[in-house]
Amino acid sequence: MADLSGESDVGQARLLQALAEQIKMPLMHIARRAELYRDQDETRQTLLQIEHTANLALRLIDNYLLSTRLSQMTLALEPVSLSAILHDTAEALRPIARQYNCELELSVAGKYGPVMAHRNGLQAALLSLGHVFIEAGRQPGVKKSRVTLAAHRTSGGIAAGVFSETAELTSATYQRARELYGRASQPLGELTAGSGAGVFVADSLLAAMAAPLRVASHQKISGLAATFIPSRQLSFV
Amino acid sequence: MKILLIEPDKILADIYAYALVESGHTVSWQPDAQQAVLTADKWRPDIVVLELQLAAHNGVEFLYEFRSYPEWQDIPVVVLSAVPDVSLSSVLQSQLGVVAYHYKPRTTLEQLLKTLDGLAISA
Repeated sequence: MADLSGESDVGQARLLQALAEQIKMPLMHIARRAELYRDQDETRQTLLQIEHTANLALRLIDNYLLSTRLSQMTLALEPVSLSAILHDTAEALRPIARQYNCELELSVAGKYGPVMAHRNGLQAALLSLGHVFIEAGRQPGVKKSRVTLAAHRTSGGIAAGVFSETAELTSATYQRARELYGRASQPLGELTAGSGAGVFVADSLLAAMAAPLRVASHQKISGLAATFIPSRQLSFV
Repeated sequence: MKILLIEPDKILADIYAYALVESGHTVSWQPDAQQAVLTADKWRPDIVVLELQLAAHNGVEFLYEFRSYPEWQDIPVVVLSAVPDVSLSSVLQSQLGVVAYHYKPRTTLEQLLKTLDGLAISA
């Protein structure tokens, strides 16, 4: 049998790196915003604590990136409702979308039965992906960007993902970015300005449920999506 | 001072711009290298604050293009980046005239303003 433990270690290390990179941005928002308002607000002490906590967390994450690897992660699949997960994901993303002047749409045409996925893993993947697309839509002077969370039927099952007019990824670019991730600081320059970390968090989580992330389109808008197999067990319920 | 802020994240750009304007500077925000070059041409900034991780063309590519124009050779560039690479920092400072390199997660607004105010005094 082939020894896959080394490969798994690399995958987990990349996931950890992606998670750490992704969490830097909100922590920087907290730290810098707290600093900006600490002398202008009655809750100065609270804001100072927030600033200190966020700066400490940033430092810890940097150190953690250098020294630690995640243990092997397995995601058990269960029948889940894609529509419900997409709806919950959209609700969770709305506050950040508002800050970025982004119009967040939900497009779940038709009724789908449950699919086989890991509920929390799928939601985390879609949240990460949604966050990246919302961040990527920013432009000075442009009033609103638009990001769509969507599901549709494909020949292989039900595809769910995030789509935006900002995204101009090709399959070849995405494949190359996957190979580079963890070795290049900016493997997804066509889509995002940062490390593209959120995409690779989603990529790792979805790969762990045997639903790899791919370049896709929904109503002629491009994006990234994964295809899930319908749950036969509950399709008659 | 007229500061060209090249920062891809809108929320961080808003925060930096607010702090800089409060300190008496004028700010033009651009999220990518191409727009930044066009703005530099029209607006003639006194200082550039640059993130290296930009969509399409990265900050190093911007710097090479920026420094290729004779009239922009002497404009101070401050790197404010999430890239923590120390070796990159020395290359940028020696070859592309970067006057300061700040690692963004560990740079407070106060530290950034101190650097920019120092440049304003020496200008």
